[in-house]
Amino acid sequence: MTNMKKILWLMSLLILPFTSHLQAAGGYNITLESADNNLRDQESLKRGAILFSNYCMACHSVKYMRYNRIARDLGWTDEEVISEMAYGLNTVTEDVMTRMLPGVALDVLGSEAPDLSLMARLKGDDYIYTFLRAYQQDEEGVWNNSVLKGTSMPNVLEGIERHATPEEYAQAARDITNFLAYAGEPSKLQRLDLGWKVIAFLLVLLLLTYLLKREYWRDIKH
Amino acid sequence: MSHQTNDQSQAGKSTVLGWFDERYPVSSTWNKHVGEYYAPRNFNFWYFFGSLALIVLVNQIVTGIWLTMSYSPTGAGAFNSVEYIMRDVEWGWLLRYLHSTGASAFFIVIYLHMMRGLLYGSYKKPRELVWIIGMLLFLVLMGEAFMGYLLPWGQMSFWGAQVIISLFGAIPVIGPDLALWIRGDFVISEVTLTRFFALHVIALPLLLVILVFMHLVALHHVGSNNPDGVEIKKLKDNNGIPLDGIRFHPYYAVKDAMGAVFFFILFALVLFYAPEGGGFFIEAPNFEPANPLKTPEHIVPVWYFTPFYAILRAVPDKFLGVVAMGAAIAVLFAMPWLDRCKVKSIRYRGNSFKVLLTILVISFIVLGFLGTQPSTPLYTKLAQIFTALYFMFFLVLPFTSANEKTKPVPERVT
Repeated sequence: MTNMKKILWLMSLLILPFTSHLQAAGGYNITLESADNNLRDQESLKRGAILFSNYCMACHSVKYMRYNRIARDLGWTDEEVISEMAYGLNTVTEDVMTRMLPGVALDVLGSEAPDLSLMARLKGDDYIYTFLRAYQQDEEGVWNNSVLKGTSMPNVLEGIERHATPEEYAQAARDITNFLAYAGEPSKLQRLDLGWKVIAFLLVLLLLTYLLKREYWRDIKH
Repeated sequence: MSHQTNDQSQAGKSTVLGWFDERYPVSSTWNKHVGEYYAPRNFNFWYFFGSLALIVLVNQIVTGIWLTMSYSPTGAGAFNSVEYIMRDVEWGWLLRYLHSTGASAFFIVIYLHMMRGLLYGSYKKPRELVWIIGMLLFLVLMGEAFMGYLLPWGQMSFWGAQVIISLFGAIPVIGPDLALWIRGDFVISEVTLTRFFALHVIALPLLLVILVFMHLVALHHVGSNNPDGVEIKKLKDNNGIPLDGIRFHPYYAVKDAMGAVFFFILFALVLFYAPEGGGFFIEAPNFEPANPLKTPEHIVPVWYFTPFYAILRAVPDKFLGVVAMGAAIAVLFAMPWLDRCKVKSIRYRGNSFKVLLTILVISFIVLGFLGTQPSTPLYTKLAQIFTALYFMFFLVLPFTSANEKTKPVPERVT
């Protein structure tokens, strides 16, 4: 039996220890800052959504989100989400698309701005947070980003960085990150909140099935 | 037993069951496979994985049916429809995670199920066909998983399939045409997607169900092995019932139910709290739509293929690598004949087998790890060493097992 347990333990190594490995081996040459965002912080999500609308949507979309879904999840009315995020210009059933006309980004910036619906799941929250704050200006005044060298994206938060306190600047980046984390998987909180209830039910069921098994197995002599 | 089964049949009696029993073998089929199927009373932990595999199969089929209702197998629509399921379909995220987590759970359960077979010699006479049908199931399952992984149409779906199908191109003479025939196009395209969809949702699941049926028929014909490797049919009481046998129902039915609930708890932990499985069950690059013009930095197959992928990469020649990968799976089919030891269970076998099996398991796990990593000179060297060790098991076993120093096997189960 001890042999078997050892082997079983080894087999479990197949899945468990590597879980943190892939995420660490992202291949970025800098250490990512912790975004420290909180999906349950609705105020942060609302601020993030407004910042996203003001600073990101000129080029980017989150095309897998609709305005009314955002309203429902973030605690806005349909009217509020349109006035906060769309200057009253969209209807609530529309997807959250960029305000840029097709092809303009390619002409002006040299590449299409990617849709950001799944960026948080592709790269992680910390990546987005660090990326937003990783702009540096060299002596000739050219901006570059130490996370993604040669990116076509300008330092959109420059205004906040210059005029707000470092804490406010960090909070703005954190709020945008939080919003994108939400947009990556809008059902995540529902998932987290349902999980423990399911597991609690299963624990009770486990006890019952164990007692049932024990009752039946009384007949069997060992 | 058959005379008893007939006695208990309701045929000719004026009951509903009697009406059916005259026209269809309801009672006798139930009795043969469940009610009067006598299983050894000493099953341990390792014997949960058969019933768990069946449960996971049902999960995959049921969630798969509902996913198919909302999935769109087109180049333009596939990725979008998965996100539609994740966001707009009621409980769609749950269905999708049940299916994706189920795929990985399937392989965990199957690998442990196969491990049980190796530990207790369940492939040996008279169970050779149970093992071979099981190996066919494993092959079909790999095909099913591979094709299913293309359907989300993410970057890793696309490039993983591209790499694996191009392997067929390494076969001399017919290779390039064969790869073209499988893809239906010069690169992975919507043509490939639609055929993989058809194979994934009907052809291979049908094959899986038929093979599972045959696996169970074969098993119930020869009877289950057990941790002592003792044939319980040798010693029967006056009624012809094995002395060490107990009815599958209710005894193992309630025991397996308990095991299933325990499994559900572990499954729910992953499902609700780590559905990406740390990037192993759903790989991060798959959150980006398939793009034929942009190759991901590292193309890594899903974890359950990585041991075989590592063997493929360990061999410098591409064609020989494909041969080695195929051989690594094919050689398992021959286990009933490669292992010549009469004693079944590891409990009573000699040290040579214990050492060899330990080496096999360690090699498999290390290769699985190496398959997830980008190849470096060190990792390639390690992959070569552990590939050699993996095959060593099958090469050495026929010689060591022929005259192994075994312990005496008890008459009855312990």
